[in-house]
Amino acid sequence: MSVVSTRYEAPRAPWLDRFVLLAAPGLMYLALVFALPLALLLLKSFQNQDGAFSLAAYAEFFGDPYNLTVLWRTLRVALLTTLLALIIAYPTAFALARAQGLAQSLLLAAMILPLSVGVVVKAFAWSILFRSNGVLNDTLKWLGLIEKPIRMLFTETALIIGAANVFLPFMVLPIYAVIRQLDRSLPEAAASLGASPMFRFFRVTLPLTLPGVIAGSAFTFSLAISMYVIPSLIVGERQQTLSMLIARSYLFLRDDQLGSSISAILLAIAVAVVLGSSWLAGRVAGGRR
Amino acid sequence: MPPGSTARAAASVALDGEAREKTEDAPARSRRSAIGARHLDVIGISKSYKRLKVVDELNFRVAEGELVSLLGPSGCGKTTLLRLIAGLTEPDTGTVVIGGADVTHRPAHRRNVSVVFQNYALFPHLNVRDNVAFGLRARRVDRQKIRPMVDEALSLVRMSELADRSVAALSGGQQQRVAVARALVVEPNLLLLDEPFSALDRKLREAMQVELKSLLRQRGITAIFVTHDQEEALAVSNRIAVMNAGRIEQFAAPGEIYAAPASAFVLDFVGLSTRLNGTVLSVERQTAVVETRFGQLVAQPKAQIEPGTRVVLGVRPELMQRAPESIDRTATNSLTTRVADVMLLGSKTHVHGAAEGDDRVLCELSGPVETIELGAELELSWPVADTLIYEVAA
Ligand SMILES: Nc1ncnc2c1ncn2[C@@H]1O[C@H](COP(=O)(O)OP(=O)(O)O)[C@@H](O)[C@H]1O
Ligand SMILES: [Mg+2]
Repeated sequence: MSVVSTRYEAPRAPWLDRFVLLAAPGLMYLALVFALPLALLLLKSFQNQDGAFSLAAYAEFFGDPYNLTVLWRTLRVALLTTLLALIIAYPTAFALARAQGLAQSLLLAAMILPLSVGVVVKAFAWSILFRSNGVLNDTLKWLGLIEKPIRMLFTETALIIGAANVFLPFMVLPIYAVIRQLDRSLPEAAASLGASPMFRFFRVTLPLTLPGVIAGSAFTFSLAISMYVIPSLIVGERQQTLSMLIARSYLFLRDDQLGSSISAILLAIAVAVVLGSSWLAGRVAGGRR
Repeated sequence: MPPGSTARAAASVALDGEAREKTEDAPARSRRSAIGARHLDVIGISKSYKRLKVVDELNFRVAEGELVSLLGPSGCGKTTLLRLIAGLTEPDTGTVVIGGADVTHRPAHRRNVSVVFQNYALFPHLNVRDNVAFGLRARRVDRQKIRPMVDEALSLVRMSELADRSVAALSGGQQQRVAVARALVVEPNLLLLDEPFSALDRKLREAMQVELKSLLRQRGITAIFVTHDQEEALAVSNRIAVMNAGRIEQFAAPGEIYAAPASAFVLDFVGLSTRLNGTVLSVERQTAVVETRFGQLVAQPKAQIEPGTRVVLGVRPELMQRAPESIDRTATNSLTTRVADVMLLGSKTHVHGAAEGDDRVLCELSGPVETIELGAELELSWPVADTLIYEVAA
């Protein structure tokens, strides 16, 4: 606010900048449909049946080892999903950014089209692939790699593979956006200075694309930690996740307070991930200023 | 030549220092021979993109310790040639030899050729010191040795105080210095600079030219300097390769390029000139009479030329003068023109004559001449021996 520019007169109250006004409809919408209900839900998680302040729901949640197992499983599945998506997405994003013309359009379409196929459809399609007499087992048997079909459906592995597939675009696109911005002469400069391909990747390309990796991972992790439909369809009730616990509390146990408190815990994790990642991204970018 | 500035004057002094360069100091020579041969041979190199031949069967040699300029209009293939030498682009045909070793198929990181990119290509995630140290780390130089080497390189380009700055916080000139330090610290066999000063303002550019030239000479570094600015090429280099459409039109010392351009393209591209189109009327004992819009002029072509050939005649403007009362017509050309413009440039005056088509009449008189009126008839003369003649390609 202290810099006086000849081209652009700073408004007296920067928070009332004209451009901030453009965000007003969006902010209002978010406040009404997102923040308000969430606040009510949070409030509820601290109230008992009579409306008095109570931590009973939290105590109940953390007191039950089963819930802790679910919490741990949810975190583990989200983390592994994020990792798997990252491993697949990073080279894909490179291919996408470096491809030209038709190839790029096709790759981009291949990345975005699956988003338009509902998760339910995908999940049933996977069951054709994963079930005991499914395509994958049949192929492995035919190749002589296995004698008896291995169980794939209803396992955590299948869940992670399926979830990573669904969330892949959310990992690829932020990384792609960063790679597109990457100055191509930087790896070349590194090469001319004697850096091997490995050295170039770890000292130049990776650090410079890290903001995309962080953003994509935060997206994917947040989505994976709160997913409900995918685990319901792939692993079912046998291996519950936090979202399924929430649904059970509300729909079957009719325990609003428990449901709210689990939701609050889930929310806290997601917020921590988002804040943590933007802090990290800021630090990574910080060295650049 | 444009209005002289002090930096320009300094640059010309440096240029006059050529003699010193030829009898180069003993330490520089011994340092070089200790490291090994660092000359460059480019043999029959070509590169096409789609149908476009960007580099066309080029051959040239750069001697050890030489600073060669690659001069040509934008799009003529200078950057591509540099990339071929650095190993950043594969040639379609041809060979690159550095210090006697064929490196044509050696990847860039094993050529020991440093590049200063046009946009500097500094690593934005590293500070000044780490940018300069990058090449040493990549070469796995001992940790303890890196620090003093980086400090020395930074002091060489006078950037020691800003060693811990982030590179984004530097001005263009400072970034340029860091890029040079980063390229030099690894002691490359060959240094390639791609229009390194094109983003700098004129004053800074001229100062940097002088600095770079003395820096490279001090260290005996073999370097190729790409530019599209003919003044820069004349000021900086030992020799200039003038490029046009993927080919080298002339490769010679700056003085020779200016005084004896090998083609009409070089005449046009380097320095100012009077330039007249014409047709050969007759040739007798190596003297050609040429019909031009300004009447018949005489030139002495070096090669055989047939009557009826279309030609371009050229004269450097400082070789022309106001015609004296009596002229020896056998040894002197003259033309009469209407004065279209007079530019007082301080130590000299440029008189532009009215001309049609792509003809051009320009005479440089020494000192400020204020007695010439616009629109007046003016007769100019110059020696036949100084008349350049080029065949126009059919
Ligand atoms: N990677 C590339 N793909 C296609 N065309 C290219 C490529 N690099 C250069 N060119 C073309 O080659 C020609 C010469 O380019 P360049 O070597 O950059 O010229 P200069 O550096 O002399 O301005 C230009 O017409 C340019 O468009
Ligand atoms: Mg270029």
